[in-house]
Amino acid sequence: MSLTRIRLLVWKEFLQLRRDPLLLRLLLLMPIIQLVGFGYVVSVDVRNLPTAVVDLDQTVVSRQLESSFTASGYFLVVARPDAETQLTSLLDTGVAKVALVIPQGTQDLLARGQTAPVGIVVDGSDSQIASVGSGYAAQAIARFNASRTAAFTGSLQAPGIDARTRVVFNPTLDPINTMIPGLVAAILMISLMSIMSQAVVRERESGTLEQMFVTPIRPSEYLIGKVAPYALLAVAQLSVVAAIGMLWFKVPFNGSVWVVFVGLALFLLISVGLGLLVSLISRTRQQAQQALVFIMIPTMVLSGFIFPIESMPEAIQPLTYAVPLRYALTVLRGSFVKGSGFEALATPLWAMVGFAIVIFGAAVIATRRRIAE
Amino acid sequence: MTREGEVHGIPADPSAAISVRGLTKTFGNFTAVDGIDLDVPRGQVFGFLGPNGSGKTTTIRILTGTSAPRRGQALVLGEDVVAHPERVRPRIGYMSQKFALFEDLTVDENLRFYAGVYALDPAVFAARRRYILEMADLQGRERELTRNLSVGWRQRLALGTATIHEPALFFLDAPTSGVDPVARRQFWDLLYELAGRGVTLFVTTHYMEEASHCHRLAFIYRGRIVAEGSPSEIRANLSTQRVYDVTVRDADLALSWLETADGIAEAYLSGAALHAVIDRGVDRGAGALRDRLVAAGFADAVVVSVEPTIEDVFVNLVSRERGA
Repeated sequence: MSLTRIRLLVWKEFLQLRRDPLLLRLLLLMPIIQLVGFGYVVSVDVRNLPTAVVDLDQTVVSRQLESSFTASGYFLVVARPDAETQLTSLLDTGVAKVALVIPQGTQDLLARGQTAPVGIVVDGSDSQIASVGSGYAAQAIARFNASRTAAFTGSLQAPGIDARTRVVFNPTLDPINTMIPGLVAAILMISLMSIMSQAVVRERESGTLEQMFVTPIRPSEYLIGKVAPYALLAVAQLSVVAAIGMLWFKVPFNGSVWVVFVGLALFLLISVGLGLLVSLISRTRQQAQQALVFIMIPTMVLSGFIFPIESMPEAIQPLTYAVPLRYALTVLRGSFVKGSGFEALATPLWAMVGFAIVIFGAAVIATRRRIAE
Repeated sequence: MTREGEVHGIPADPSAAISVRGLTKTFGNFTAVDGIDLDVPRGQVFGFLGPNGSGKTTTIRILTGTSAPRRGQALVLGEDVVAHPERVRPRIGYMSQKFALFEDLTVDENLRFYAGVYALDPAVFAARRRYILEMADLQGRERELTRNLSVGWRQRLALGTATIHEPALFFLDAPTSGVDPVARRQFWDLLYELAGRGVTLFVTTHYMEEASHCHRLAFIYRGRIVAEGSPSEIRANLSTQRVYDVTVRDADLALSWLETADGIAEAYLSGAALHAVIDRGVDRGAGALRDRLVAAGFADAVVVSVEPTIEDVFVNLVSRERGA
């Protein structure tokens, strides 16, 4: 391997990057736009859910229950129908997304020390509203129960439960805090892969790849010369994204810088390697683009970036182990939010090492084979 | 003329620029190169001819060490290129029809890149750069992006960069396709200049008129060498046949008539005219052929006996091969 030739290849790559202003702009602006966009979309909380209340009890207790709903700020009472039958049309038209039905005799049941069933109806057509809405409703009821229990017995045990629930459902901080570290990884992957996937195939189309391989340039030199410039760019990108995340969105950083560094470095290699592999396997730029989409969509869906892995059907969950982003997310979220160290994150880190080795091994083999064709 | 198999038994010649024995390359079930033997003496312009997909490019890829053959031996400049491509590469050059310049780099940057790849000494590079800029007529345009150069200039620059390290053997894969005839002519002048300095040229082309520029020719068809020799030896292939140039207004119709007519061995389009090949044994001259054409309804037919071109030989060889 010759350092001179690698330097030459890197020099050439940077010259070409400089001549492609669109690409450079894309490289630096794309992460910022994505981060801000995603960041705000995520931080927009489900508030003021239009709610219909059917109070068939019309007692002090029923009014207390209703106010425990409205006091949370998540529910806004938009209708008070007299009968349950009227709910259907309200939900169908979307006037109400959530309905609370307090049956007649609720106060009597509670007074007698019995459990009183209340009905909560949630519009399931929007899964976000459905899950968040029912969660808040459960929370509101828990709060109501707790205050009643406390009032009746004077015991302080019950509010403890309420406090714990509140952390889990804390909507204003939690999503953005786990989302930004995830976004860092996802943006890194998207931009690196899309650029790398074009890098080799472009040279194949123009014939320069063929030309270079009849010179003393070796496949490994070529690969290093290709990867190094983009890896450097990725670091720049990363710094921008992380800085915006921490300064603009005020994501707290609880973990070790080294854990994040190692995790991101590994993931960066994986992304570059995957992009390179796509580029090596594709014959045309269009093919590379399609292959990219083919990889990207399952990655986004299965990594836990958008949907929590725990909520996936059990049959699907094993597939998520094949998605490198999954491990990057575990490392970044663990480090950012929980402050986990190397020990706690050893499994995902080693998994990424494994992926990096396999992917780069495949890239070297593919380079050798592709030149030959 | 050398047919496949005749050279078998004679070992590969390390003193030749290229010496190949039993070279075979397969892609799955498809045999791209089928046991070819080839000897290219040093200092010659060697034309490697054949239709698209006949195995020309595959052969070049093997000879430049970028593709491994299934079987066979390939000596390039005396080195086994399959086992030690790295020994061969610094001494060979390669240019394809794509020109393969970095279009988003300037003229100078392209030169510097390849000079660096071949680790040229700064003094040597300065001299080579001056020579190439003059040869390609690009003095004063060193800082232009190669993307903005027109085809002829790009082609000459590509020739310059590909030979910046003064290779002893230079491969050209269809270097003139898509280039206008004047530029093609100029380009061949440059190639002669290279050959004049002792560089061996291995050129593939589908332009038959370019074949006569070569010292030696080999025809490859369906992965096999079907003819080899000097242009005049190749033309002698057709010594038992006669070629007539037929000019007629309705060439398409005349062609289908000729293809089925008695005693016509071969008929095909050649430029704007038709060529009809007739075995000497049954040939009765241009006038007789014209009479037959007129009788068949082609009253405006003009028939002239012509010297067989390389293309005529080639069409003939291919049809023989197909018939075999």
